[in-house]
Amino acid sequence: MNRLRKTWNPLIVVPILGMLSAYFFGLTSKQWAVTGEFTRWGGHLMNFVGVDTSQFSYFKLIKFKGTPLTRIDGVMIIGMFIGMFVSALISNNVKFRMPTSKTRVFQALGGGIMAGFGARLAMGCNLAAFFTGIPQFSLHAWFFTIFTIIGTYVGTQIIKRPMFQSKIKMKKVHKHHLYGIHDVDHTKRNNWLLVACAALILFLLFFEFNIQAMFPLVLVFGLSFGFLLEKGQVCFTSAFRDLWTAGRSNMTVAIILGMIFSTIGTFIFIKGGTPATIHWAGLNTIVGGFIFGVGIVIAGGCETGWMYRAVEGQVHYMLVGVGNVLGSILLVLVWDQIAPVMAYNYPEVNLLQTFGPYGGLIITYVGLLVMLGLVYVYVKWYFRKQNNNTHAIQQEELS
Amino acid sequence: MKEAKTDYTIDYFLNLEGEPCPFPAMKTVDAYDDMKDGEVIEIISDCPQSINNIPVDAKNRHHEILLVEQNGPTFRYVIRK
Repeated sequence: MNRLRKTWNPLIVVPILGMLSAYFFGLTSKQWAVTGEFTRWGGHLMNFVGVDTSQFSYFKLIKFKGTPLTRIDGVMIIGMFIGMFVSALISNNVKFRMPTSKTRVFQALGGGIMAGFGARLAMGCNLAAFFTGIPQFSLHAWFFTIFTIIGTYVGTQIIKRPMFQSKIKMKKVHKHHLYGIHDVDHTKRNNWLLVACAALILFLLFFEFNIQAMFPLVLVFGLSFGFLLEKGQVCFTSAFRDLWTAGRSNMTVAIILGMIFSTIGTFIFIKGGTPATIHWAGLNTIVGGFIFGVGIVIAGGCETGWMYRAVEGQVHYMLVGVGNVLGSILLVLVWDQIAPVMAYNYPEVNLLQTFGPYGGLIITYVGLLVMLGLVYVYVKWYFRKQNNNTHAIQQEELS
Repeated sequence: MKEAKTDYTIDYFLNLEGEPCPFPAMKTVDAYDDMKDGEVIEIISDCPQSINNIPVDAKNRHHEILLVEQNGPTFRYVIRK
């Protein structure tokens, strides 16, 4: 029971997510992705305020019809939210937390808008254009990854500015007792909410079965994705950003491992006839990836990251979510003007066609291993530099 | 949660309740710079993500982790530099 309550190691959780995402692709012919569906939510919002969404070609591109309950992505995401909430309840992570300052509110909304806009410009966030995009053998995912990495570096330089830094001060003390944490006991509330979740899941399973026989399974996939993301506190933003902020690579390595597991799985399904999702390897991916990278660091979380933190009760990340949807609406509004010069005129490169099926597979794995190697070398370099700095300071103090 | 006694002296206290990711981790890494070797810091954070970064950062810097615990949605880390 205790093990169920504790956070699980991302090095185990993310490879499982990788394998599940490959099965999900085999089952539904869809990548595990979320931002496309958030954009459709934006479409519902536009319809609600009276905008005719049929005039925007982007909605045709992402097949905007029906409701979240009748779309594969919609059902999957509902499952994710519930799965995350269940996990947060079991882990006792649910607590209402208000933003600590106006700066944080501005960061959440502004960063969220940038991330939503950038992701949709690039046809996917760090799921569809990275974690589940690279295993689709689409060249655009590699472009996206490289420029997201650059974007997160720039974003990190921004949040390192004093105005964004925490105003909390460390106190010098001299004490022999631990601080008394004032948390209310939430056990009873959490148990009731878990019962409510169970009832909701049962209802949805029956309800979705009547819409399409496959949908309950899609819901279960969503529940599992969500549960594991919260349980492992799997933050894709931290996988990039924390390399720069602290030389920490545990999440980065976990995510690359996840792709090492999922790539072979999706390859087998693609070989079996499931069509791969390939997008333009163009300017839209490069610019979108960069904006996305800067945005997620300013916001403090990407799409999956805000989802599980929002259900934990962190208001900051609910605002990131609002920002994401707003950002994707902005992209829809300008898409018809920018797509002809940024996207449509670029090729959709499928590595399995360019290099042959096994050539494409080998190149993808070589790419993943190179990424792993670069992370290793970077972390070594980071700590060597740090040690040199401390030595230099000590030397100065001595002399 | 009662104020439990410790058999070591805590030299610094950093209460990061309310701060979202990544600021608890960044603030903690900065805190180490202001500490002397052997000094002990107690860190409080209600960011669940901190469990994946504060102990890992401490280990990467060869600091000793004296205590990691979760009391409800709030985490406590005690670390000796």
